[in-house]
Amino acid sequence: MIADVRVRAGLAADGAKWRAEASAQITGDEPVFAGHYPGFPIFPGVCVLECVTRGAELTAPEPGVLRGIESARFLGAVFPGDEIDIDLEWTRRDGDWVCKAGVSVGSRTVGSVRLGYGVGVVA
Amino acid sequence: MNVTLPQLRRLLPHRYPILLVDRVLDVVPGEHIATVKAVTCNEPWYADLGDEVTDEELAYPSTLLVESWAQSAGVLAMLTAGGPEALRDKVMLLGSVSGVDFHEPVYPGDVVEHRIGLRRDMGETMIFDGESLVAGRTVVTVTSAVMAFRPAEQLRPEKAGVISGGIPA
Repeated sequence: MIADVRVRAGLAADGAKWRAEASAQITGDEPVFAGHYPGFPIFPGVCVLECVTRGAELTAPEPGVLRGIESARFLGAVFPGDEIDIDLEWTRRDGDWVCKAGVSVGSRTVGSVRLGYGVGVVA
Repeated sequence: MNVTLPQLRRLLPHRYPILLVDRVLDVVPGEHIATVKAVTCNEPWYADLGDEVTDEELAYPSTLLVESWAQSAGVLAMLTAGGPEALRDKVMLLGSVSGVDFHEPVYPGDVVEHRIGLRRDMGETMIFDGESLVAGRTVVTVTSAVMAFRPAEQLRPEKAGVISGGIPA
């Protein structure tokens, strides 16, 4: 659907946490730029969020389903040609997983996201 | 108030493939809105699916449900702020969302109804909450979403002047 999200550093234990890194090159030919917005291309916040969920799913400590977005803050605009770096941090909570992610373009922070993943059977 | 289909198109700057509101059912500017998004398997997100697929692969991307909900909030924001003319040289951006829960998957053929309330209006920043339903069942709840209209020239000085409220000027 959108940008190829790649794992840059696989899951590694850090105390009680697990960390990983992913990245995505946002090229000017992303189809979404045609409509967001015509003549004024800005990579939509939810597409940044989608890249984070892909990065999360590629590095998840165990298979799970996205139950919710606890928070997602879009702190800076992402433009054609930007490469976004995603730092992921997984922690256990009540048998499920919380994935915190910091998103940056170069030295600029563009997003901060906290996702909840459920493990096992989903209603 | 009633929003016709041509009017809806003038109220949102989004276009294919990321125009994710099909119809406004009801809106009271400054208060609330109800909209419809019809999901089909002909959307670009499904373009790369093969012949053998799972239910999971056919589920509508959760992030796009949030986008569709947020665009509906954008229609309410636009009408509350006085329309594209009142938002000259501004760009509509989603600032943040929190407390979003996905209760059930949404599939092609589903008609999603978004219901949104305006909780706080601070002029160029507005805060919304609400939910999305399919056939009367709640599929998504949103505790809070912040929408902002930001100056185009601040975002992309070289492109300022081509956009008004997010609508091409």
